[in-house]
Amino acid sequence: MRAKQPSRSFWLRHVWLLLLVAAMFHVATVWLLPRAIMWRVMSGPMLQDLGGSNHAGFAPPVDASARRIVMPSPDLLYSICLLDLSHGPVRVSADPQWPDYWSLALYAANSDNFFVLNDRQAAGKPVNLLVHGPGAAFVTSASSAWQVVSPSGKALLLMRVLTSDYSAQAQAVEKARRSLRCEAVQP
Amino acid sequence: MTREQVVRGGLLIGLYLFACAFGVGSAWMLLRSSWLAQSVQVGPWTGSTLAGSTDAGMYTRGRVALDGLLALGRDETMYFVARTDSAGQPLLARCHYAITGTPPPARWWSITAYADDMFLFDAPNRRYSLNGSNAHLDAAGMFRLDTSPVAPTTTDGQTLAAWLPTPSGHGNGGLVLTLRLYNPQSVLQAAPGNLAGPRIERQGACT
Repeated sequence: MRAKQPSRSFWLRHVWLLLLVAAMFHVATVWLLPRAIMWRVMSGPMLQDLGGSNHAGFAPPVDASARRIVMPSPDLLYSICLLDLSHGPVRVSADPQWPDYWSLALYAANSDNFFVLNDRQAAGKPVNLLVHGPGAAFVTSASSAWQVVSPSGKALLLMRVLTSDYSAQAQAVEKARRSLRCEAVQP
Repeated sequence: MTREQVVRGGLLIGLYLFACAFGVGSAWMLLRSSWLAQSVQVGPWTGSTLAGSTDAGMYTRGRVALDGLLALGRDETMYFVARTDSAGQPLLARCHYAITGTPPPARWWSITAYADDMFLFDAPNRRYSLNGSNAHLDAAGMFRLDTSPVAPTTTDGQTLAAWLPTPSGHGNGGLVLTLRLYNPQSVLQAAPGNLAGPRIERQGACT
């Protein structure tokens, strides 16, 4: 007994389903990729090097051995905090007193740069920044000049300090960037 | 179940697996190409106008995650990347290039050489960039940077000061140049296409 041949509509239905599956995997790949890369950056060896979330870590000067994040700038010293905002805000403070460019940049879990503050904006004053988790309302605080709400529960803070000649400036530039502190605010 | 039904079922499973792979592969190909990325072209230099921005669409975000993760927005830093010389030929690590231009309108700038995996080459002289602090300008206000495996010399035998070494044993390995502009002037932020991008010219034979 021969099986009944599938109808034309059977194949047509599968053609549409195949196109739909291909489109869904396409969109999912594009959407997931930056999140997966950021998750790897924020959950992998970097987190272990930092000793956990909400601590400042100070990467060595960039050279050919720096292979965690693409296109590292050899003219910048990088310092990092992984912010876990799930238990409340995190206070970020720094007082670099550095004559060249520096900046503090915050990145969400999808890799968006949602906040940046540079030396010109700080105008020589110490930075005191309160970073809240998603959906948090600003809390009035006389001690915080800046407050920002992160779009994700985990965020990455990257401090860049420009050094045109690290070997000559090592002592001063290390002092400048090591003024960075990241601390969970106790409820 | 008849043999025809088994064959048809196998065929459908194969087609659906192919559709999944096609979806992932097409996404990867698009992200690696310049299609759909919001970019501006200035000579051989390509700049993303939405890198790092919260306005970035998912394609721009995906592309930046692959080639420039943790970029800053263009009011803070503008990034231009060159993978070809000014004649349109692919940049190769084993060739000698002269990069010349005038300092761009920004508070600070740098040109860095990367391998095609977007990481730094091992530089014996520990020099990885030419920048606004160490660039020497000639009488016409122009800077010059050379990239090559062997230190280039002038006609009187002097080694050129601004030399970024690239590996000779890299076969047809690519070279990627990145121009960074920190705190670019507002006119350039508004119209990145007006950048007078440095020229990249191959010097001599490339063996």
